[in-house]
Amino acid sequence: MLKRVMQNQPQVSPLAPRISNHEDTQEAHSEVPSKRVSSMGELQLPDVAPQDTSITVFHMKKKRKKLSISEFERAADSRLPQYQAQSTLDSTIMARSLRLSVGSLLAPDTVEKRGLLRRPKTRRAVDMQEFEGRVEQNMLKNKAGQNDLMDSQSASGIRTSILTSDAEIMMNSTELFVQPQMDEDSQSKLPALEPQLSDSKTSAQRSLISDADQEEARLEGRVSSVSTNQGRTQSYSKSSNLDDEHVDRMTRVSPETPEKQGEEKLDHSQQSNPMAEISFTEEEAVCSAERGASTVHSEHLEKKLSEKAELQITAAQNSRGETEMAPSAGEELEEGSIGGHRSPRAEGEITRGIGAESVAGHSPAFSSFHKPEMTPLSETDEQEDELQDQAVMIHLDSTVEEPAEDEVEHPPSQEVSMKTPAFVRAPAQNLLSTPHVAKPAAPSSPLKLLKPKTVPKKLRTSEKKPREPQIPRSLIKEIFRHFAKMPVTRDAFQIVEKCSERYFKQLSNDLEAYTHHAGRKTVEAADLEVLMRRQGLVTDKMPMNVLIERFLPLEYRMLLIPVAVGGNKVIPCK
Amino acid sequence: MAAAGAEERQVLAQRLKAAVHYTVGCLCQEVEEDKDVQFSKQTIAAISEITFRQCEIFAKDLEMFARHAKRTTVTTEDVKLLARRSNSLLKYITQKSEELASSNMEQKEKKRKKSSAAKGERTPGEQEAAVTENEDSNMA
Repeated sequence: MLKRVMQNQPQVSPLAPRISNHEDTQEAHSEVPSKRVSSMGELQLPDVAPQDTSITVFHMKKKRKKLSISEFERAADSRLPQYQAQSTLDSTIMARSLRLSVGSLLAPDTVEKRGLLRRPKTRRAVDMQEFEGRVEQNMLKNKAGQNDLMDSQSASGIRTSILTSDAEIMMNSTELFVQPQMDEDSQSKLPALEPQLSDSKTSAQRSLISDADQEEARLEGRVSSVSTNQGRTQSYSKSSNLDDEHVDRMTRVSPETPEKQGEEKLDHSQQSNPMAEISFTEEEAVCSAERGASTVHSEHLEKKLSEKAELQITAAQNSRGETEMAPSAGEELEEGSIGGHRSPRAEGEITRGIGAESVAGHSPAFSSFHKPEMTPLSETDEQEDELQDQAVMIHLDSTVEEPAEDEVEHPPSQEVSMKTPAFVRAPAQNLLSTPHVAKPAAPSSPLKLLKPKTVPKKLRTSEKKPREPQIPRSLIKEIFRHFAKMPVTRDAFQIVEKCSERYFKQLSNDLEAYTHHAGRKTVEAADLEVLMRRQGLVTDKMPMNVLIERFLPLEYRMLLIPVAVGGNKVIPCK
Repeated sequence: MAAAGAEERQVLAQRLKAAVHYTVGCLCQEVEEDKDVQFSKQTIAAISEITFRQCEIFAKDLEMFARHAKRTTVTTEDVKLLARRSNSLLKYITQKSEELASSNMEQKEKKRKKSSAAKGERTPGEQEAAVTENEDSNMA
């Protein structure tokens, strides 16, 4: 649907210069509908509608001057988070795209109106929350109507989610357009969501504290089961639940995972739930918004370590869910087993997702799955998973089961998602080990207290106080192993580590020299372009933008290359 | 017109390549006499080809550095930035640049003293010699 809208928009421009002449508008009308019919044979309803509306629009042009843009923005706002009733939106969007042409001419006048610019931001925030609330209500309804069996609930939840998301399936299955649209949304939502990030974080913290009490007993029991390797399928099946969680999840692991997830959608589109995809994209938007809050995220992860047990324990209790999830999960498991060395990580993420689901109350089935999966996980992975699980579950009070979201995430995105977890894990590992053993249910403040207690003790015995920040060894190992495609010895890893250290040192020296050469004190993008030219990556034939488009995830690309979107906006804001 | 220009450029490039090849041959002969080793013709040809291409890259990098510093003239600062990669070359170039700077200062002082006298002919000649010295250091 949105594809058609996007196809419409370029057609709008020929109208714009003609608007000045009312006599020509009639001609333009005839041209535009014909174009529309040719380009979009799919839409039949809107074809008729715009013809009528276009005429009315042009006649009413002066009166609706200011309303059109606001209406369009409202439509855009409502369109993005709500994927329901798209058919009705089709006609409205077609009509509004027509008005957009009118509005584009008038945009310079209306842009000065601050009210128009401010309104969409607040509305989007509400829409997101409304959507999440609505999803939760759906799940609550499902739970209320179902039996004690978590399986049936989860199954019904999945079914209902599938039904509601039927309309969205079309949209989400086309990967090409989901991402840019989501990125647009995410980018536009970024300024709106950033102020909300703090709110969400505080709410998350509160939820963490409330959950911590309940989870104390569970956490310890769960810790043992975490290490199981098998049953990855469980997590995959439970990934559907994660979708809601992801939407709520403000402290996302990495901005890249949504990108990877988007890529994986293609792979798992057949098996994954459409709801998973929808919530996934929402999550992407959320995650991109949270990108800047990575540091806060790490804090949350630490706090959530204790609460991770909650997820695991609830999962352990339920056993029925396994049977139902197993068949669907079986397929996912096969796919998930692609990255062998990533399995522990994936499991960590799976347990995360499972934990989130277990919080919602689908735990019995999942817990049994969860346990076998967790065995091979290493402690570090556990910790990481715990953090992530906690992050996931804390945000969701009622989780919607949406299988295959984890599945979508894990196998392909493992590489990317591993980067951020590694970064997060590195500082968190020191902290996690002590609180994890001592008191799992400790809320955030005790963790913080433990931090200053343990750190000074260790520092007194250690030699250097200010330790140089290093790239985590696990990250280098992962990346190198992925590209080597064969087993690598430990000595080789050490040498690779030294090489990468030298490389980055030289890199930073060069950047400093270039910045100094330009008479500045801050490294900027221009300095990096000079560096890349020297490296031979950027040439006369290969401009920087092409490299950005080719290698960077879409969120970063939106930051670097300004994009003009509808409503007279340029992303990033200048 | 454009084709003729391109042909001219090609002819010029060939002449330049020939000049570089000749200079490289002379330098290799000196090294042969010094170190008592032999240089095959293919070696000399390879070295001259490499030098020519590297000069192109240098020129582009220098232009880029000058633009990076928001200038339109390539200065010794850009050259120093270019030679940063190899420490010995950087030291050599900084030495030479300091010598040049000092000689320039001396020249300026001499100019002030002898501005009345008709010795303007000597100073351009000295400057040309200094420029060729700089070029040789870059080539090295």
